[in-house]
Amino acid sequence: MDYSRLWQSVLTEIELAVSKANFTTWFKDTRIVKEVDGVIVLSVPNAFVKEWLVQKYHHTILKSLRAMDPNIHAVEYVVNKEESRRRENRDTGGMGMKELPLPEVIVNKDDNLNPRYTFETFVIGPFNELAHAAAQAVIKSPGLTYNPLFIYGSTGHGKTHLIQAVGNYTKTMNPGKKVFYMTSEKFGQDCMNALQNQKMSVFKEKYRKYDVLIMDDIQFFSDKQKFQEELFHLFNTLYDNNKQIIFSSDMHPHFIPGLEERLRSRFSAGMIVDIPPPDEESRVAILSAKAKSQGLNLPEDVINYLAHSLNGNIRDLEGVINTLVIQSQLKGREITITDARSFVKNNAKPKRSIAIKDIVKIVSDFYSIEEESIYEKTRRKEVIKPRQVIMYLLREDFNISYPSIGQKLGGRDHTTVIHSCEKIKVDIKEDPILSQEINQIRNLLAV
Amino acid sequence: MKIECIKEKLSEAVGKAEKIAGKNPTLPVLAGLYLKTEGNTLSIRATNLDLGVSTSVSAKVIEEGEAVVPAQILSQLLNSLPKEKNITISLEGQVVKVSTGSTEALIKTLPTEDFPIIPEIKDDEGFSMPAKDLVLGLRSVVYAAAQGSMKPELSSVCVAYEGNELVFAATDSFRLAEKRIKVKNIPHFAYILIPHKNASEMIRIFDSVDDDLSVSIKDNMAAFEGGGVYLTSRTVDGVFPDYKQIIPKETTSKAIVLKQDLATSLKTALIFSDAFNQLHLSLSPGKKMFEIESKNSSVGENTYALPATIEGEDLEINVNHKYFTDCFQSIPSDTINIKFNGQAKPIVLEGVGDKSFMYIVMPMNRS
Repeated sequence: MDYSRLWQSVLTEIELAVSKANFTTWFKDTRIVKEVDGVIVLSVPNAFVKEWLVQKYHHTILKSLRAMDPNIHAVEYVVNKEESRRRENRDTGGMGMKELPLPEVIVNKDDNLNPRYTFETFVIGPFNELAHAAAQAVIKSPGLTYNPLFIYGSTGHGKTHLIQAVGNYTKTMNPGKKVFYMTSEKFGQDCMNALQNQKMSVFKEKYRKYDVLIMDDIQFFSDKQKFQEELFHLFNTLYDNNKQIIFSSDMHPHFIPGLEERLRSRFSAGMIVDIPPPDEESRVAILSAKAKSQGLNLPEDVINYLAHSLNGNIRDLEGVINTLVIQSQLKGREITITDARSFVKNNAKPKRSIAIKDIVKIVSDFYSIEEESIYEKTRRKEVIKPRQVIMYLLREDFNISYPSIGQKLGGRDHTTVIHSCEKIKVDIKEDPILSQEINQIRNLLAV
Repeated sequence: MKIECIKEKLSEAVGKAEKIAGKNPTLPVLAGLYLKTEGNTLSIRATNLDLGVSTSVSAKVIEEGEAVVPAQILSQLLNSLPKEKNITISLEGQVVKVSTGSTEALIKTLPTEDFPIIPEIKDDEGFSMPAKDLVLGLRSVVYAAAQGSMKPELSSVCVAYEGNELVFAATDSFRLAEKRIKVKNIPHFAYILIPHKNASEMIRIFDSVDDDLSVSIKDNMAAFEGGGVYLTSRTVDGVFPDYKQIIPKETTSKAIVLKQDLATSLKTALIFSDAFNQLHLSLSPGKKMFEIESKNSSVGENTYALPATIEGEDLEINVNHKYFTDCFQSIPSDTINIKFNGQAKPIVLEGVGDKSFMYIVMPMNRS
């Protein structure tokens, strides 16, 4: 059901029935949060409005809602916490004064969530739409559809943003639900402290009361047996009670070294989604969104140029926008394509260029074979695959022509190279291990 | 509706509620006071939808009923009446008749049915605190709150409970005031953020109350009840900055001055202060001098040497006059200890021998 449209039509009806003064005072900033079994939950800006709507307009609201949808039989009102945060202009009382170095506290102490991470600010592109869809499914029925939800991807691809947005959204949708976010490191620290002070029972209780538990950067648990054991028991308790658990990591659970098998299999029980690096189209969307949120006006050609020439992760893109904001303020004008060009030339990490020899070295090290064997005419199975992977990477990531790849790798024919690239392309789709290997090699190359 | 009561009492109750009622272009009825008979009392309510207050006056109820009258008019009328003892208020059609032995006034009413209900906060874990402590605490810090800020948590006063102390704090990020008051144990209370405008109203309304206030907190609202007043305020949903981190731990130079002396010298300095309210302070422990200098290119300049005890390094520093003087009213002792940490570092002011109040202010970095 489209809540905003439903509520809009109810408002239109109510507007006709009540005076303008009453309408603007009492119905401004109201909206439908959700509907559960015919009960509409209405968000109102403050307790005055709640009291007034309950006492004076409850019947009118319910009647109009029923006219739209006969299944609705009740309305509940909740006070919205966010809408009380209205923004005003900053006063200039402190002209010429430095501010007190107050720490920026925006993290909510009760749930550790940073309210800045929401779905409104989450840019969806082809690269992360699967992860986004999985997150949405988790929000719809927490603890049931995908439990646990495991999100992995390289740094700066938006893992933390996504999982925190799930937490923040769940909190607004279900004010009663206890959501908690933490990093694995924090969990480890807590566990250590509890062990030292012999307060394990308190520690166990603390984490078991949450309805949605979000644990970031789970790869820190690699080789930490005690933490893994605690996590295992915690996981089981939460899972058995249908509590939602969300994990993030920089790699697939199967590839986290030193992870116990029982944990690994439990991670795999739910949904495992990958957030790959943003593609160019998504980078355009991300750059425009970030520029807009910073109040920076970037012409389309500049955005396209930046998206094309910058390869990095989302955090890098954010950095670029921040720098451009300052530049535009200093120069007192909009950023032009020339500015962008010189910026990219001077600052940004150039598009990767790497010697073929280095790639050969990294890949042959990865597969533990002799570097020289790649160039030889051998057809041993353990050499063929790495060689094909090298050709594939050279072609896909570095755009080197087929003939020159062949020539550099021991004077092979360009058709051999084409065949190898095609073969890896097909195999990646069918063989998850190969695709994971290639991702890992790509990470190695990026360093 | 018809009641008779003591004018003085009514005037006081109306005075408390009147300030809250105000102009609201969308809902004109908010400029009114809602009067209603309840048993042997007349209940008076006012709200601006951010803050709601309900007071009551004991009265002889002759006929039950309700009415909404413009707050300003009623308040002005009551204040202007000669020293009459009793007053009678009655609703006659669309007007309210206010009569004493010698005068009679008719006030047009506002529509009763539009007047908002003041929400009742039901909190199972309510608690109580002395009204005097709340008022003193709020008054000691409220001026330091941001006057309209991007950050709602800075335009509010933080009231927190920490181990038998109520801690009041406010900051606009240029200065910070903190007041600690010892209280009896208050269970179930962590902290609330009260918008500074509401805090100022609370100071006014509860100033004359001696009893304990019972406090309930729920859904971004807090209710305070005591001394015949029921007040509900919005609270800010946010986290107050962890300011304890920025309290300077060391001091490079220190000046101890008499509060009265400092206040007088600052008054003089104000005459010559410039558009930025800048004061130039110079400390030279060797010469035992504490000088305050203000300069205004279009008026002139002034230097005031204060008798002071000075320790530490020589220092020349600029401060904002207003930020500097604001805190004097909250310092209970006669002598003030001013602690400096060098250029561009926060300055701490506190009363000598008084640990309950602390004020931190940033210097100005204009040359």
